[in-house]
Parts: sequence; C-alpha cells; structure tokens
Amino acid sequence: MVTNITKTVTIYIDDVSYQVPAGANLVDAAKALGNDIPVFCYHPKMSPVGMCRMCLVELGSIEKDRATGEVVLDDKGQPKVRWFPKLQTACTTNVSDGMTVRTNTKQVDQARENVVEFLLTSHPLDCPVCDKGGECPLQNLTMEHGPGKTRMNFADKMHLDKHVPLGDLIFLDEERCIQCARCIRFQDEVAGDDVLAFHERGRSLQIITNSEPGFDSYFSGNTTDICPVGALTTADFRFGARPWELTNVPSICPQCPVGCNTSLSTRLDRDAGGRAIIKRVMPRQNEQVNEIWICDKGRFGHHFSRGADRLQIPMTGNAPASLTRALQVAADKLKAAGSDVAVIAGSSMSNEDLWALKQLANGLGSERLGAWPPTHAGADLVAQVGVGKGTNLSALGKGDAVLIIASDLEEEAPVWRLRINQARKRGAIVVVANARKTQMDEFASETATFEYGEAPKFMADIEASDLGKKLAAANNLIILTGADGLTLVESRALMQSAANFLIKTGHIGKANNGLMSAFPGSNAMGLYYMGFTPEATLDIAQKPPKVLIVAQSDLIADDPSVGEWLTKVETIISLTLFNDALAGLATVALPIQSFAERDGTFVNGERRVQRFYTAQGPIGEATPAWQVAGRIGELLGQGKVKLSAAAVMLDITKSVPAFEGARYKELAHVEPQFPMIQKDVYYGGTAYENTGGLGVQIPTAADQGETLNVGEVFVPETPKVGKGKMLIIPTQVLYNRERTFQSSELMHPRVADPYAEINSADAKRLNINNGDMVEIAIAGASAIRVRAQVDGRAPKGAVILPRHLATNAVPLTATVGSISKVGQAAVVEG
Amino acid sequence: MSIHDEKYAKRIEATFAKYPDKRSAVMPLLYIAQEEYGWVSPEGIEEVAQYCDMDPTQVKSIAGFYTMYSEQPKGKYWLQVCNDLPCALRGADEFHKQLKEYLNVEEGGTTADGMFTVEHVMCLAACDKAPMLQCNFHFVENLDMEKMKAQIEQWRAEAKAEKK
Ligand code: SF4
Ligand code: SF4
Ligand code: FES
Ligand code: FES
Repeated sequence: MVTNITKTVTIYIDDVSYQVPAGANLVDAAKALGNDIPVFCYHPKMSPVGMCRMCLVELGSIEKDRATGEVVLDDKGQPKVRWFPKLQTACTTNVSDGMTVRTNTKQVDQARENVVEFLLTSHPLDCPVCDKGGECPLQNLTMEHGPGKTRMNFADKMHLDKHVPLGDLIFLDEERCIQCARCIRFQDEVAGDDVLAFHERGRSLQIITNSEPGFDSYFSGNTTDICPVGALTTADFRFGARPWELTNVPSICPQCPVGCNTSLSTRLDRDAGGRAIIKRVMPRQNEQVNEIWICDKGRFGHHFSRGADRLQIPMTGNAPASLTRALQVAADKLKAAGSDVAVIAGSSMSNEDLWALKQLANGLGSERLGAWPPTHAGADLVAQVGVGKGTNLSALGKGDAVLIIASDLEEEAPVWRLRINQARKRGAIVVVANARKTQMDEFASETATFEYGEAPKFMADIEASDLGKKLAAANNLIILTGADGLTLVESRALMQSAANFLIKTGHIGKANNGLMSAFPGSNAMGLYYMGFTPEATLDIAQKPPKVLIVAQSDLIADDPSVGEWLTKVETIISLTLFNDALAGLATVALPIQSFAERDGTFVNGERRVQRFYTAQGPIGEATPAWQVAGRIGELLGQGKVKLSAAAVMLDITKSVPAFEGARYKELAHVEPQFPMIQKDVYYGGTAYENTGGLGVQIPTAADQGETLNVGEVFVPETPKVGKGKMLIIPTQVLYNRERTFQSSELMHPRVADPYAEINSADAKRLNINNGDMVEIAIAGASAIRVRAQVDGRAPKGAVILPRHLATNAVPLTATVGSISKVGQAAVVEG
Repeated sequence: MSIHDEKYAKRIEATFAKYPDKRSAVMPLLYIAQEEYGWVSPEGIEEVAQYCDMDPTQVKSIAGFYTMYSEQPKGKYWLQVCNDLPCALRGADEFHKQLKEYLNVEEGGTTADGMFTVEHVMCLAACDKAPMLQCNFHFVENLDMEKMKAQIEQWRAEAKAEKK
C-alpha cells in the first residue's frame, strides 16, 4: 500500500482509539496496529472483492447531531455508536473519522468459526500430502478460528480433479480451491496477463485458463504464493519437500538487471548426496525493487546451479589437475605474458569477483577489462543521470511518464515491465518506442516507431515533437533504454541522447526521474563501477592479448565472431561455471561457484547494491571467482588473498567512491516495509520477509550535484543494406537455450523452437512461407537454421532473430546478412 | 464454419454499435457462435475473443457461468423440457420420461443421428401451458406425446428439406 496521504483520522478498534491514515483499508490499518483481521480473499496488493467473508467485524460509527455536528452522548456520557445491524467485511471498508470496530466479540468469533466451517465443508483436508501444509492460511486460520470438529460427512464432499495442469508450470487441485479469486485478480490487476478465470458456478466453480500455451504469463508462479490454500502448486516444488524442512537463505536473482530479492529454500537432500540444495526460489520482499513478486525465469531458472554440465574439477590442457597445480599454471602463463593480458568478465559476476579480477590485471600492469556481452553501452551515463536515489516505480502514477525505447521489456526485465504496467494503470503515461512490434506494446499507453538504426536520432530529435513536449512536461520522467537492433556505437548514442533530454528537461538528480537500461545479466552496473566496459571488449577482440582471462562468459555460444580472434590469443584462462566449449579451448579451466554456493553482491539496474548469501553446498572443487583471482595474484606476489567476500567488499568500499556506505553490514540493513507481510501467511502470501537486507542505492552524479559529462553525441550513419541483403536484428527472449537456463528442464516446453520473424512483403519476394525452414547467412558466422514466422511483426527489410534459441550463435548486435529458404538458393535481385 | 461468415456481419455490427466498448458485446456474440456451431465450441470462443478483444479465458468463463450457453455439442434440436413444480403437477415428469424413451436417449443425451438432445430445466415461465419445452430457445407448449411425435416428424422433415 503506497499512500501519500498524510491526513489521519481517529478510529476505535476494540474500544481503543487510534490515529490512522485517512482512507486506508481497514484490514491494512488494523494490521499496522497489530490487530490481525483474518482474511482469505483480501490481499494488500489487489483491490478488495469481499468474497470469502472471513474478515467480518462489528462496524459502527460515532453518531453526530445532524444539525450541530456535535457528537451525541449516551446516558453515561459516552459517545453514542450507531452499529450496522449485521457484521461487515473489513476488507471492503475504508477507515473514516469516528469509525468504531469490534474484532473481539462473541459474534465475530462465531462468524469466523462459521466461515471456516463452510469453507471446510467441501475441502479435502489432505494437509498431510499438501505442499502448502505448514505454511497454509487455511490451515492456520482453521487452527485459530475453526470449529475443531467437522459436522460434515466425508462421503458428502464434492470430489474434483486433483492434478489439473494449468500449463507446464502450475498445477491446480480443484478440490482445494476456496474460490477467493486471488489468482485471477493477480493475473488481471498485477501481472496484466488476464489468463485465469472462473468457470461454472456454485460448487462446480473452477479455475480455468484458455490461453495458448496454458497459463501463458511470465508471472504465473506468484499465484502459488498468494493462493491461500494448496490449490495452486508449481511443477518445480510440488511434492518436493515440506516447508518446515527448509532453510531459507536470502539471495538475489542472477538473471536480469531488476535484481529481484529472493529467498532460496534449501534442504539437505538425499538426491544430492546429502548436500544442501535449492528446492525452490521464492520472492523476498523489497518494495523498492520487486515488491513481493518475481518472474518465472527467476523462480524456475535455478537448476543451472547444480546442472550436470557444471565444471567440477580444474583442468589444464584438457586434463584434470589439482587446484594448486592449475592455479600455478595460470600464474606462470600470466607472469610470462607480462602486461600483455586482458580480462573479459560476464555480466552476472559479483562485484567481489570483478574487483579481484581487476586487481589481478592491474597488478600485472594491464587495464584491459572487458564486459561481456558487449551489447549495451552507457553504464557510465546511468552512473551520472540514472534514476535518482529513492526511486520507487510503485510511486509513479498520474502526471508521470516512462519512455521505453529500443527494448522489449517484457522479455528483458519482466518485473520492471510488471511494475511499469501498474504505473500505467495508476495513470502514468507509458510510451513504448521501437522499430518493431514488441510484447511490450500491449502494456503501453502509446507507441511510437522508427526505422532500425534510427533510435538514436529519434531520441535526439524528440524534444521538438509533441511526444517530447509531453514527456518533458511530466512531473516525473524515467527513460528506460534497451539495445534492440542497435550496434554498440548506436547504443551509446541513444544513451547520450536520452541523458541529454533528461538533463535539459530537469528530470535528473531526484527520485523517480532519470535513466535506466535493460542491461544484460544481473550486474552490468557492477561491471561498470569495477572498471569493465563493453568498449574494452571490442578492443580486446581487435588486439587480442597474449593471455586472456575469460570469466563467467559464454563467448562461443554468445557470439559467432569470437572464433576469428580467439585463435590469436596464446593462452586462455577460463574461470567458468560450466564445462563448456571455451573450457575445452582453455589452457587452464578453473571451476567457479555460482551465486547459490557463495556470498557476494550485485548492483541492479537502479544501482542498488544488494547482497546474496551462501545457500547451497559446494559443487566439486569449485571456489568463488574472487578467490581464484586472489590466489593467482598471491602466486604472482600481489599480496595475500582475502579471507572472505566481506573483506573484498571492504576493500572496494575504500577504493571505489560509489561503494562508500556499501559494507556488508550496511547492505544487510532492514526497515519495516508495507504491506507488513512478515507475521502471517494469510495476509500477503508466502513471499518471504526481508531479513537479509534492503541493499544500498548508489547515488548518481546528478544526485550529488556533480558536473555531468555526457560527451559528444556521435550518431552513426545507418548501415547501408546492400541488394539482396537484410538487416539481421538479434533480440532477447526470456525463455531461451542459454546454459544458465538449459538445466531447468521443466521450462523446456516453454522455450520456443528456433525462429526468425520476417515481414510478409519480404517473405513473398523471397518465396518464404510461414513455417518454412530458412537459413540465415552472415559473414563470418556459421549459417543459422530456423523456422520462418511471417507474422507482420517484423518491419520491412529486417529479420528478427532471437538470440540463444538456435544451436549456432546469433550475432550479438545488429548486422547485415541474407535469408533464404532451405534447399533453395538465396534470391539475389538485380 | 465461422462467425466471420457473411450472414452474421450485419448482426455483429449492430451489436457492437449498441455498446460503448467491445467487451460488452461478448454475450450476444456468444449466442451467434452457439447458433453457428450448435454449441459454444473452442473455435467459437476463439473467434468471439478476437472480436471483443478479450482473452479467450474470459470468454470461456462467461460461457461457463450462464446455463443458456452450451459447452457440449448438442443435437440440431435442443429440447429443454420443464419439469419444475407447476409443470410436474400437470404431468411433465411423465412426458419427459416418455419423450426420452421415444427418442431413445438418456437425460442430457443426443440421438444417434445427432438430431435431438433432451434435457430437463427449471421453470421457463410458461407454467400455464404445461407440459412444455423449449426447442432452440423457442417455446413449444401444451404438449402431449401425440402432439410431440407429430412435431418430431415435422422437424425431421424440415431437416431433410434443408439438406437438399
Ligand atoms: S486457486 Fe487458490 S488463489 Fe485461485 S481462487 Fe482458488 S484458492 Fe483462490
Ligand atoms: S525479473 Fe529479472 S531479476 Fe526478477 S526474477 Fe525475473 S529474471 Fe530474476
Ligand atoms: S471478504 Fe474480506 S477477506 Fe474475504
Ligand atoms: S414450471 Fe414449467 S414453465 Fe413454470
């Protein structure tokens, strides 16, 4: 509940008077005062419907004389209360001055008991085999308020289907559903994917989905958290463990720049040889970041952390080696290379890892630190004019605006898309500007288009347009960029132009204003603060060093052009999670730990430094990357390796000004959050209370009033596409075949077969039909075979080619190529 | 088969004209779909969803809530016999039973030739003309088995003529 209401009113609960925010929901208000009114259908994040009657209370108001406005007193001189003749639902009541409420009377107790009894008349009561057992609102409220004994004959119960797959991810137990419509309302009001509904009525009422594929939403898992019974369960966790066996470890989702706070529920597991492993991923409340939601990629994409393809032991020259030996070989190679070394680090590595790698390179006299993948430029601009400190997307509403440009946010940063859609529903203007139709268009209040390559120009010229004027006039403005269809140079130009516009229109240096970008991975901003840039990566490709350290970057799967220059590198030292192709090429391959097995920090897209904790037992001989880098450094005489991630962070806080105030203790700081979900599961659901820390947001240069330097905008020429050629536009889809997602087998049915979208006019000209197998040829890359989708979403002259779907790598950024039907030579026009 | 068929164009247009937003037309359109397919088929739901700019789930939900939409295939003639109290007092129960026997169908079942579906319903507000039934939403009143047999023959003949 975000209320800006400062006005308060006086209400009386159980004869005690309180001051509460005017207009607050009675359940919320009582909750804040420590009075838990039981609810099933009400949820603080959704509009009330009054369907379950669990929240019945005695309600009245203090009588006032109509003529004088004076409070009427009774014989005893007490204010006279006019009570409603019957109990009222608290969840549909907003507080008003003089409201009197009784929650502790016999009548209320009786009502609660009766409602529970009614709900149980047709409930299977199979708690012993129910996944929700132990954290179930119905179970808890039955214990607290229920009759204790049933008057219902078991044989009279309605028996319905217990294993209805609503899709590949969520199962419905029809018997357990208490018809509260929380799941339906979540999908409609919060997720914006209206794919659940009731079917039939009365006792036959059931939840259905008719979407294709079933329950088609990136947020479906959240319904299992807010379902007050065990009716909705995930394919990942059902029958996997009992809630009371789980140890819950605060973590951060490693999949995208939103940086959702999660809780990893772990258990010592027989199937994992007695090690602690992740049994499920749950949202952890951080109202500024992800509220109490996460997307299905974050929830179900954790399996890579113990995938069969994890590298378990160090390798030298493709043969197993001891860690000591492998580190020594690495150190020797680096020593021999002198300063002719470089590092490429992945965008989901922790700050501690990046810092240690930087120390190692710097110690050798190299400043060549590349960020992977080199797709999005302008992190430096986010550091300057990023969204101001204290930004909360939940605060955006009427009078505010968000411009999303060159990004398909639904696919790139799902929870941002969820929250921005809610901002739109609260009245904010959400403009989506792209060269193609995207999933995000559905959640826009208006769309704008430009041609591929024109995004920087569009942004640079926006000021003069009506749209620009509207955006400039908004109370608060956030510009959220992506790199859809942009080269790295164009991406920089877009970021610069966006920054300039924000500066000119005064939308910087304050909360809820500024620049965001849908960077790849979970720590692209960390890469920037630690000194790694995508430009350096391109430079490394141009002038390959003698020794290249590649850390947690799947170069070969990500980019078809690496082969060209990687062969010129004499020695590759790979710090890797997986036994992948690059590990095979490497002179030394060192297994490193994933986010789940160690602690560390990420910086999210809003520059919030957030801490994750050790959850899972170690895999093989893998060690944290900061330790690997530190130990190599030690062998090279660079000083002793740090003893903990916390110690590395301490170092960072002393050396990197942005991290001042980001010591582990400070990152672990928590404050009360609203809604107050911590005390019970029936109010907010099973999202976890935040005990691991809310993180610390790095202030921007603008926040601190420093001089800004956007740099001269270089808007590159749009590349000329030769005759018979097409623009190849690599795009991001959420569910793909990246190694960090592949091990989540339950997601496989949801990962699209490799496809490319082309315009119908192009298709006709090239004699390609919808569904045809086509081959896309790009200079310097192996041919990419995919199915053609002729669906009118692709603009003319462009091939929309999602990355990480096909086996062969798709280019990192926009390029030129040709497309032809398989078994038919490319149509060359003269 | 489709509600995009020419013959519905005018009606659909007139329906949309009646409401301020597309969503509101969902119920009349579902009737058209039912008319076209003989029941609210998945194709029908898909088409109505497209017309009304709704998720098919929501359309199905509406079809499921109201009993006058059938989500099962029905015979060409959908016979709904009232056997609520006033009709029952005038022999509707017996009439309902005999009708089923005559057509050789179970309650809610459809004849093998796909012509007739028989089911019982609650009061249709024609108690004074009992026994009565509703055939494809049109009342047929003051019935007995003799009259009913003649009516059935007539329907069969009509269906035959239509086929030619
Ligand atoms: S499935 Fe759960 S959330 Fe959905 S209506 Fe039933 S009880 Fe409520
Ligand atoms: S939105 Fe991003 S950070 Fe959040 S759960 Fe999904 S992938 Fe993870
Ligand atoms: S009616 Fe108030 S919580 Fe359900
Ligand atoms: S009881 Fe049959 S029509 Fe009224």
